[in-house]
Amino acid sequence: MKEENTTEHSPSLPGGLISVDQWKQPEMSVQRTLKDAIRHLTAQLRAGMSSDEEPFQSLDDLPSLTDKQIQHIAPHPDFTALAGALLDSLAELRESETLRREVAVVAAPPFSGVREALVRLPGLGAVSADAESWHLVAPPDNLLMNRQDACRWWDEQDLTGPWVIPELADFWLRHTSGFALISELFQRMVSGRVGPGLVGCSSWCWQFWESYLPDAHLGPLTPAPLDAERLGQWLEYLAASRDGRAITARMTDDGLYVLPVENPPDAEKRKHSGFLRDLATASRGIPGVALAIWQRSLRARPEDEMEEDPDSQTRGPGGRSCWVVPLDQLSLPSMPQSSDRSIGFILHALLLHDGLDEERIALVTGVGEPELQLALSRLARADVVYEGEASGRWHVTPLGYPTVRRHLQSWGYPVDGF
Amino acid sequence: MGDMGQGLQQAFSAITWVALVEAALVVAAAVLLIFVIQKLVPGLAGKLGGKARLYLLASVPLARLLIIVVTIIVVVPILVEPSFENMVAIFGALGLALGFAFKDYANSLIAGIVTLYEMPYRPGDWIEVDGKYGEVRSIGTRAAEIVTPDDTVIIIPHGRLWNTLIANGNDGSDNLMCVAEFHLAPNHDVRRVMALLRDVGFASPYTKTMKPVVVVVANKTWGMTYRLKAYPLEPRDQFRFISDLTARGSEVLAADGVQFVSVPVAASV
Repeated sequence: MKEENTTEHSPSLPGGLISVDQWKQPEMSVQRTLKDAIRHLTAQLRAGMSSDEEPFQSLDDLPSLTDKQIQHIAPHPDFTALAGALLDSLAELRESETLRREVAVVAAPPFSGVREALVRLPGLGAVSADAESWHLVAPPDNLLMNRQDACRWWDEQDLTGPWVIPELADFWLRHTSGFALISELFQRMVSGRVGPGLVGCSSWCWQFWESYLPDAHLGPLTPAPLDAERLGQWLEYLAASRDGRAITARMTDDGLYVLPVENPPDAEKRKHSGFLRDLATASRGIPGVALAIWQRSLRARPEDEMEEDPDSQTRGPGGRSCWVVPLDQLSLPSMPQSSDRSIGFILHALLLHDGLDEERIALVTGVGEPELQLALSRLARADVVYEGEASGRWHVTPLGYPTVRRHLQSWGYPVDGF
Repeated sequence: MGDMGQGLQQAFSAITWVALVEAALVVAAAVLLIFVIQKLVPGLAGKLGGKARLYLLASVPLARLLIIVVTIIVVVPILVEPSFENMVAIFGALGLALGFAFKDYANSLIAGIVTLYEMPYRPGDWIEVDGKYGEVRSIGTRAAEIVTPDDTVIIIPHGRLWNTLIANGNDGSDNLMCVAEFHLAPNHDVRRVMALLRDVGFASPYTKTMKPVVVVVANKTWGMTYRLKAYPLEPRDQFRFISDLTARGSEVLAADGVQFVSVPVAASV
């Protein structure tokens, strides 16, 4: 594979798609490494010594932005644009013969937005199809089946044309009867019995299946991680996506600039803060995690907060300004400590399956009903997990993800490669 | 012998009460420090998981050895003038005393030092010595303490190191292979059972899936013996892990109509 795509990439997918082997964590300063290690160690040692169920709270006195202001300054990305960018990147890779397989697998860390993007491919949902129309393959209600039933189920699916599975983690359960669907699909993909398709897969799910089927070399791709520079460009792109207005963000402690990344041509040279590098590291280069932390770190000036209208936050004509709290002053969710394995089982299962309802959590973890309820409520109080209102599925929160991953790793669980 | 006695007499003749008190204070401080480390560090290690726990536990005997060596270096010059003659006299007498009166004790002390160097076992390791299996809780100067799965503490003198086979399950790492055995009646689809048991290994939430999950089978006179080998998340999970594998495996095999073999009571007695 090529080292990396050198062509211009869409701002919604900075860096484009790369091979999984090329992914590397954004660089971390020595100071940040030490701080993180000490914080993690003290969090573990504090087990049982302090109240660990307090939700997230900020440690500064500056007023937070309102939801309306956040929707203008740091809105959620346009997943339709991301879907287009993913397709463009795949087409580029096919053109350069970097990708030669009929079925492309995109294994991305949680909160990368791949699932949300793939359900918005042309032909799915409201988007009209200009060129090819995609066919969505949805999982069956009952995932527990034997090999024969799995064969029959896949035979019934139309996998001849361009087909897409937005999230492969929806097709299995970590149960002795829950492996058949993906095993059968991988066999068909490897033997070339399916037409051109696109499979999105959570990196945690992928890590499991790489171990389960070590010989299935499917050459997965992944979005390039957001390093400080890409992250800055992406946040600028998000801020301008609503109304095209640029953003200026400065640190609350020393006034150094965070955004824009580049100096405006007519302005004097600005000193930039190292916040973006810290944010890229803290979020492991994952867009959804970075955006969640970014939203929490944004602050308004008191005089701005008095104004309800977000347009009042102008900083000169066509601009918008806000303040950013250093990461050290931001108290991110901390893990409830427990000597019992159940919390680890639950969190690991949620990441492996990209969210589960209570019945399925109990099925894959073996954690019984009362214990499960207690553990979930503890985790929810600590802002580490949340329950989807419509789906009833429990998920890890983007803010809680970095600490969940770190704790699972230190507790001996297999973690993803991202 | 007479020369050594005279040497010892000369070496200790200059000891004053002040020097004795000073030396006693240094020794007391060292003992206190060792005591604190032995109590505090395992407690902290117990709150951590994974490699950090093993590293912390392993640091205890090393720290103690370091304190003992430093204490000797500090105390000896306080009590006697560290001349060549004095040292020969003191260590000669010490050697004689250890050689005759405390042979086994000295044997274990020296083996204890070798233990720290060769590290056949470290705190946190799961070892088997003379049929006794357990986790090394601490490594003392003379003996190691292991805790069996039934919470019984067994003291193993380091001297056993010289002439006993020591089996170490995880050897300083947090990877400890566990085996769940299934004894099945013959006349079934062997490959299917192997695949089912492999799925059992991957389905257990205790399994460290980045390590291999392997099923091996052997044909015995009574039927087939399957051994499901996998690694638990942490060595201390091993018994719950094997229980979980056994329970899940039994369910799957029963659902598939595969019979277990059982030994008649009369034959098993």
